[in-house]
Amino acid sequence: MMNGLTLRLPKLKRLSWRGIAALIGLIIILIVVIYTFVFLRHDPNLTNLDERLQNMSIQHPFGTDQLGRDVLTRLLLGAQQTIGYSLLALFAAIIIGVPFGLIAGYKRGVIDRVFMRVGDGFLAFPDTIVAIVLSGLLGPGIGNLVLAIIMIKWVSYARLVRSTVLSESQKEYVLVARTNGLSPSKIIRKHILPHIVGHVLVLASLDLGKIILLISAFSYIGLGVQPPTPEWGAMLNESRPYFQSRPELMIYPGLAIVAVVLLTNMAGDYLRDHFDVKKEVQ
Amino acid sequence: MILSIEQVSISSRENKIVDNVSLSVGEGEWFAIVGQSGSGKSLLSQAIGQMLPTNLKVEGKIHFKGSELLSLSRKQFQTIRGKKIAYIFQDYQSSFTPFRTIGQHFDEYLRTHGVSDAKRRRIESIYALGSVGLDENLYKKYPFQLSGGQLQRASIAIALTLSPDLLIADEITTALDSVSGHRVLELLAKKQKETGCAILFITHDWRHVRRYANRLAVMKDGEIVESGGKHRILDHPKHEYTKQLIEAAPILGQGLPSGLQEVEKR
Repeated sequence: MMNGLTLRLPKLKRLSWRGIAALIGLIIILIVVIYTFVFLRHDPNLTNLDERLQNMSIQHPFGTDQLGRDVLTRLLLGAQQTIGYSLLALFAAIIIGVPFGLIAGYKRGVIDRVFMRVGDGFLAFPDTIVAIVLSGLLGPGIGNLVLAIIMIKWVSYARLVRSTVLSESQKEYVLVARTNGLSPSKIIRKHILPHIVGHVLVLASLDLGKIILLISAFSYIGLGVQPPTPEWGAMLNESRPYFQSRPELMIYPGLAIVAVVLLTNMAGDYLRDHFDVKKEVQ
Repeated sequence: MILSIEQVSISSRENKIVDNVSLSVGEGEWFAIVGQSGSGKSLLSQAIGQMLPTNLKVEGKIHFKGSELLSLSRKQFQTIRGKKIAYIFQDYQSSFTPFRTIGQHFDEYLRTHGVSDAKRRRIESIYALGSVGLDENLYKKYPFQLSGGQLQRASIAIALTLSPDLLIADEITTALDSVSGHRVLELLAKKQKETGCAILFITHDWRHVRRYANRLAVMKDGEIVESGGKHRILDHPKHEYTKQLIEAAPILGQGLPSGLQEVEKR
């Protein structure tokens, strides 16, 4: 398909090693997570009190937790939960936010005002409050948490897309496309949408880290993933009583969160620089 | 008359920008609208194609080949835009979507107006490029790889591909240097002879009016102060503003401002 999203990408000059490292790191993590899905040595939920709180061994490379479950297995499966649900929330937010922004920015007038006031309404609530209220109303659980995150995050995408569309649709090529008899939906898809891909990508990669932190934080206080499902924040919480005797039980999931958030932020920075460079060249 | 505008007013919420304007363009005619910036000539031209921003209101009647344009629905209008009425704009750089090739612009345009065969679209586009003196390999180029004159030629090619009845050229030479500008206009004049389309030519350059236009209207502050044949207006302006405008653009050589030779008195 030549007519779809033909983005003109500049040559990959100025490859920063940090961006590359971040992207490679993220890819490795994704591969590991997918691999875990296929191959599992231990049951992540099988408790075995005889083997509780063991040290590192060949059988259990990261030891076992307070219920005798293999920490490595739970860590890898936790990545699926944490990253998977974060990506789910992110994609849902983008899928809701981008069309809203496109329509509001292109149609303007009353539609724009209504859409943006609705967005402002959502934006008025701090993200933690929305999550807490939702789990108070609907009960704690990862589904409600994801819902809360979507409700908070879609607005920023709608606003970002709208501002880009507003400035782009002033340009003459949109006028030309209209005078050539193209329908609005076609103009939006073919002439405006490719402009926003870069911006959305940057915002999304920077948001991913925040969402991961949010999901872990809420699981830590018990509003997210429910035990015995492994999740990094929940694992941190479960290991809390053993902090003094077995600190590594908290260090592993903690480090995992730090690493993934760091990598997504680095990738986001890299993408942002990358798209800024493109603008400079133009 | 292919296009007749009857008592059209364009107003925003606060004030009237175009006030009670009437004019008509004949078949195959080169009609120029002259006026300074902000006189409302561009808005008037956009009103013809229903291209105005939503916060502006149009009143009056615009007849185009027997149909009243302002009463048409949006769907009906999409078939007229591009096919019957084509536009060329001043800013050639931003007239093309930056990440799409010239060929993709052609392709999309032809497909929108019902040329469903991809091969035919390609052949027609390349023929159209050739007819404005552009090379075939520009088909695959991106807009930023072309020069200003080339881009403006390409927009003429696109606008005339489907041989519209009316071409609205909104200050198309303003952003070009005078040599490229003249070449573009020569081309436009040539194409007009070939296709017989009417041209509504918006400008503030008297040289172009003198050379190409058949009739013209002078606009000031949203009103037409004077209109008529080129020679009549250029040689015998009635309105004070027209006189000022013509005097402000001095010409070299002898003869009347419109280029006619003066009749020698014996």
